[in-house]
Amino acid sequence: MASASERSYTRRDTVLFLACLCLSLVALVSPKSWGFGLADSLRETVLGPLVWLQARAEEGRTSRVRLRAITAQRDSTSYLAQGIPSLLAENERLRQLLLLSHRLSNPYVAAEVLHQAQATDGRTLLLSVGSQQGVSVFDPVVAPEGLIGVLLTVGRRTSVVMTWAHPEFRVSAFTVRGNAAGVVAPATSATDPEGALEFRGVAYRDSVPVGTVVLSSGLGGVYPKGIPVGTVTGLVREQAGWERVYRLRPMANPGSAAHVLVLVSSSGRDLAAAFPSDSALEARRLDSIAGVRRADSLAQAAREAKSRRADSVAAAARDTTRPKLPRRPVHPDSAARPKPSPAPAAAAPAPAAPKDSAR
Amino acid sequence: MMPTRASRVQLAVVLLLLLVLHFYLRPRLWSSRVSPDFMFVGLMLFAMRSSPGAGAVAGFLVGLATDALTPARFGAGMLAHTVVGYLGSWGRSVFFAENAIVNAAFVAAGLWVRDLLVLVASGGGERSFLAELTLYSPLEALTTGLFALVFLVVFREWFSIRLDA
Repeated sequence: MASASERSYTRRDTVLFLACLCLSLVALVSPKSWGFGLADSLRETVLGPLVWLQARAEEGRTSRVRLRAITAQRDSTSYLAQGIPSLLAENERLRQLLLLSHRLSNPYVAAEVLHQAQATDGRTLLLSVGSQQGVSVFDPVVAPEGLIGVLLTVGRRTSVVMTWAHPEFRVSAFTVRGNAAGVVAPATSATDPEGALEFRGVAYRDSVPVGTVVLSSGLGGVYPKGIPVGTVTGLVREQAGWERVYRLRPMANPGSAAHVLVLVSSSGRDLAAAFPSDSALEARRLDSIAGVRRADSLAQAAREAKSRRADSVAAAARDTTRPKLPRRPVHPDSAARPKPSPAPAAAAPAPAAPKDSAR
Repeated sequence: MMPTRASRVQLAVVLLLLLVLHFYLRPRLWSSRVSPDFMFVGLMLFAMRSSPGAGAVAGFLVGLATDALTPARFGAGMLAHTVVGYLGSWGRSVFFAENAIVNAAFVAAGLWVRDLLVLVASGGGERSFLAELTLYSPLEALTTGLFALVFLVVFREWFSIRLDA
């Protein structure tokens, strides 16, 4: 490359400079249409690749800006969507399901409920898990609130649940306090509200109060023990003095369940600890209150006895410290008087004696 | 001494790189009004290593491309770049040494003169004229000069640049 000292300032350079300067001035003073036309032709031909390159760069920049805008819109939408009640409810259900999965001690498979737009949806549900995920026929299906049903058929990737609303559904059950046992089945009476269950076969001598939680008993080998099935809402009928049938409000609603857990190899287990229902907690609380009341009554009796004893002692102390009445003056001749006979003496008023002393 | 074939190839590669940077990187940078003018850096690097006539022709071609892409006043860019290219080559052969900082300052000054000539040739309001010459043009000259400094340091072997003062 030539150094500065080696370059020469020649006449040729001046000519070139003046020529370029003249062309520039001509372009400057020429009609605008000429300039625009020449610029257009240059953009279309020689400068075409450069324009294309710049267009790509602009596109990349605007794409980046658009991406940022779209990301911001998506974030805003997500933020707003979190406030939608249905999503809030679903999030709450998923949280409950997560808590339930933590509490469960036996293996399970989480499944998504694929609701179908049919009138019978709710009696049978389609799940997104099948034999590939390890579920099999007669595996119980639970929701955070309680029992949903049992797997009726199992495919490779899907399975069908027979819910408690199915006419053939049965589960052996007992009350949370263990004082009554029976079989839970869908309500068949026309007077019963749709979606209700019946707690049948309860011995006539066993009375189940309203609000009692009914759990699966584990008998039969299909459902494990301790899954909440429903809450007693009233008495349906009594049969010939030997059976009572109670109406149950189901714990879990298959129609609104979006995610469930399929309990795998769960027979013979007790899952009561995994479902701490409000009713069970209430029963415990009532038991606790009753215990406290019993303790209170004993304490009250002890307090009353103590106070009674204290009163008697105080009364005795009052009587013994009471100032004695002055004796009547003795007449001088009283000694001369004949002593009264014992009988009249017994009739005479006795001197004041402590009243509660014997108490 | 005539430039060797290798040095001409190196200069061509550098100019091509600057051209790509100007049309592909510059639109992606921050405000394009104060972004470095890569094509102007290429013009000055070429002009500082060429004869004044070649610098004037190169300036004319760069101005033609500029006017074709921003046809606000066709011919203004050609005029300004022709003058700056010629003066850059002529002035450097007279005044400047092979120093990176001096070269960068020369590029920055040339850009401000270019903007001045374009504004004068294009005409326009006095307010925009002052704002351009006192705010945007100095900022663009600063960023362009800084880029030219970095560029010369990176390619100092190719341009025979001394880093000492």
